[in-house]
Amino acid sequence: MTLDPTLSQIRDGLRPFRRRLWLRRVVRDGTFSLAAVMGLELALALAARIVPLEWGRVAAAAIPLLGALALLVDAVRVRPTLGETALALDGEQGLRDRVSSALEIALRSPDLVEAPLAAEDAPTAEGTATEDAATYARFVRLQRRDALSTLRAADRRAFRPRLQRRPAAVTVVLALLLVPALLLPNPQSDVLARRENQRAAAERQAEKLEKAAERLAEGRTAPDPRLDLSAELKKLARELRERPEDLDAQLARLGSLEDALRARIDPANEQRAAALSSLARSVSRLSSGQDSNPGGDPKKANEDLARLGEKIDGMTKAEREALAADLAGLESTARQAGAEAQAALRNASQALGRGDAAGAKDALGRLGDALARGARNVELNRDLARTANDLQDARRQLADAGKPANQGQGQGQGQGQGQGQGQGQGQGQGQGQGQGQGQGQGQGQGQGQGQGQGSLGGGGSNARFLGSGSSSGGFRGPTAGNKQFSTGDIDKVLADFGRLGKPGDPSYVAGTGGDGQTRQGSGTGQGTPSDAFVPYTGVFQDFYDFAITSLERSTVPLGVKDYVRDYFSSLNP
Amino acid sequence: MTEQAIEPAATRLSPEEFADRARAIEREVGRVIVGQHALVRQTLIVMLANGHALLEGVPGLGKTLLVRTMAEVLDCAFNRIQFTPDLMPADIVGTNILIEEEGGRQFRFQPGPIFANLVLADEINRATPKTQSALLEAMQEQQVSVARQRYKLDPPFFVLATQNPLEMEGTYPLPEAQLDRFLFKLWVPFPAEEDLIAIMDRTTGAETATVEHVASGADLVAMQRLARSVPIAPHVTAYAVSLLSATHPDNERAPGLVREYVRYGGSPRGAQALVLAGKIGALMDGRYNVAIDDVREVALPALRHRVIRNFEGEAEGITPDAIIRSVLDAVPPPRVD
Repeated sequence: MTLDPTLSQIRDGLRPFRRRLWLRRVVRDGTFSLAAVMGLELALALAARIVPLEWGRVAAAAIPLLGALALLVDAVRVRPTLGETALALDGEQGLRDRVSSALEIALRSPDLVEAPLAAEDAPTAEGTATEDAATYARFVRLQRRDALSTLRAADRRAFRPRLQRRPAAVTVVLALLLVPALLLPNPQSDVLARRENQRAAAERQAEKLEKAAERLAEGRTAPDPRLDLSAELKKLARELRERPEDLDAQLARLGSLEDALRARIDPANEQRAAALSSLARSVSRLSSGQDSNPGGDPKKANEDLARLGEKIDGMTKAEREALAADLAGLESTARQAGAEAQAALRNASQALGRGDAAGAKDALGRLGDALARGARNVELNRDLARTANDLQDARRQLADAGKPANQGQGQGQGQGQGQGQGQGQGQGQGQGQGQGQGQGQGQGQGQGQGQGQGSLGGGGSNARFLGSGSSSGGFRGPTAGNKQFSTGDIDKVLADFGRLGKPGDPSYVAGTGGDGQTRQGSGTGQGTPSDAFVPYTGVFQDFYDFAITSLERSTVPLGVKDYVRDYFSSLNP
Repeated sequence: MTEQAIEPAATRLSPEEFADRARAIEREVGRVIVGQHALVRQTLIVMLANGHALLEGVPGLGKTLLVRTMAEVLDCAFNRIQFTPDLMPADIVGTNILIEEEGGRQFRFQPGPIFANLVLADEINRATPKTQSALLEAMQEQQVSVARQRYKLDPPFFVLATQNPLEMEGTYPLPEAQLDRFLFKLWVPFPAEEDLIAIMDRTTGAETATVEHVASGADLVAMQRLARSVPIAPHVTAYAVSLLSATHPDNERAPGLVREYVRYGGSPRGAQALVLAGKIGALMDGRYNVAIDDVREVALPALRHRVIRNFEGEAEGITPDAIIRSVLDAVPPPRVD
């Protein structure tokens, strides 16, 4: 079939206009899309200021992409047909439906779409149906020619892309509103950062707990309780990874396990360890006659005890009695090392005193075994304590990650400056010169110090800042302002004050304020001579006991504990 | 029953000739009728559509002169019937009279004034409904029936009826069925001042304007036939139908004025009038296609007598023209962006 050339030319002539109409539609819909994207971005930005949206950035990036995708789909959808183009061209150029009529009538009269015969335009017989059909066909051809000539005369710049005023204005307004919404600080950002920190901290602590679990399980066999503890730690690590946002629950789980561990830990473990080391060192010295076991190794001590037992048979009575006396002298140390060691030591000493060499050998063997078991118990307790410390550290890290970034600082400053209350305590020293010294205790976990002379004074603070000041002559606050927290070289020893929490934290224990009174003592009197110099062996045990007790009570890094314990072990007379 | 057939003498016209003759008729009528260009054009459209027109206007605006001039320009047989309350149907269509012929008496049909190409039914609303209805068959079927005999009216046949909207006392408003037979209801406006001056000059001077025959009845028939051959695009037809549908109060596109004040909308004859008049308008403009604007231009005369107002509409003085304009606003031309 050969298409009517006029119709074909009309279709060809419409194609450039169709492209321009398509572009106009895309620009129009693009404006709408842009307005929609701006609106959604603004809504998202406003919502992100009200509630923390963790997917906010992803959504903010996805909205323009979705808008572009929607525009792409729309661009395909709004591609105009030639008929639409003809209608639009008629409307825009005022062609009085010439072009669209020609196309529509061609669709309606398919028999007139083909190229006309040469004689078709010729006159036909009048007054017949054929004449009417011919007249109709003639009109159709005339319409097409008219449409073609009109189309050729049409302005080629028709369908100029134009911005829709309203959506364009809406887009501009939304963009202007969006700028401050994006640039002004968002209070929810801190919340999101805290959550992110929380997740990161949870991941870090989970890794630590897993390492601790592997360390505990390494080389252990059932029924070692450390295997169960290892499994429990792995479970905790898994829960930390799966639900890092459930901070309270995680802290509660960690705290529960830590409490359980602390309940199992022998509070006198380090004292017992020191006693075992001391006892091991002593028995090695008795066996070898020299300080052959300075580290207090129980295995070495066991071997030395075995050698000592072998020597008993060759000892004279005097040597046995001397050995019995030496062993008896170790009884106080053995008492601290454990009842089993103490009983074995006593039995050995008594057997030697009776001249019972076999009994002494047997008792020395039991002593060696007691030392080995004690060492294993010490190791178990240390593992438990280390794990408890790991759990405590994990709790602290998680709690820190869940706190606002600057809350601790603000609170510390406020209370440190405003709640300085002192408590005076008089104490006579030296030659009866009295001096007032005030000491205040801040609220909460803070620590405060103050000095006052002759008046109420002192200061206090809590949280991360120490408040200190002095006053004299009247009721005043601290004269020296609160200072930035600094522990200097002690950082390596003391726990970070950051671990101290705020009201509501699991580790928070509220303190009590001072009563605000100062008592000043002043008087004269005769001082009494003091024992300024005493042999250290006389006070060693007191200092040792105090240090061990303090180690057990406070949270002190294990390395430091070992350091203190070794220090006292080396001084052990 | 016998049938008297009168074959039209048709000639073949081209669209250009159609436009030329239409312009010539308008120009010639314009030599007598001052101004009133729209009225003349719409009257001509009615005649080219083979329809009938109802002209409404106050006395003295030239309604009768217009029709008479049309008849003169078109070289058609013209009859004027002055409708009065005592006018009988036989006075219009004719009657059988008893005559003596060839030694016997027999009835012979005496045609009434309806037997003309152009019939002016002056003040049609003054006749009784019975007499008015005598026009129904002639207008619709272009034939009359008398004593079981049907008599075909020669084409072209137009009824141009007039009515006076002021003197309503003792009148018989046309029933809706008869109104619907009129293709257009034309409102004869009061002339503008400059037109009145020209009218004074022409009618009070010594010279009387005369017109020439520029077309015959056969030409009119040919023009009617050509006009019906104009192809119309489906979207234009659909628009005409949408306009008509919107005059119905229960149509979803009907504007508020229609919903509130219209009892019945236009009949399908209204859409036919829109399309046919649109075709003629396009040809008169020298175009081969019907534009939507052609349809909109004839919406008022084609629909104003087909929209039947309800009591509230009449009481509130809502004019049919206001209703049609609201319909035109409510149904804008299809727009593609």
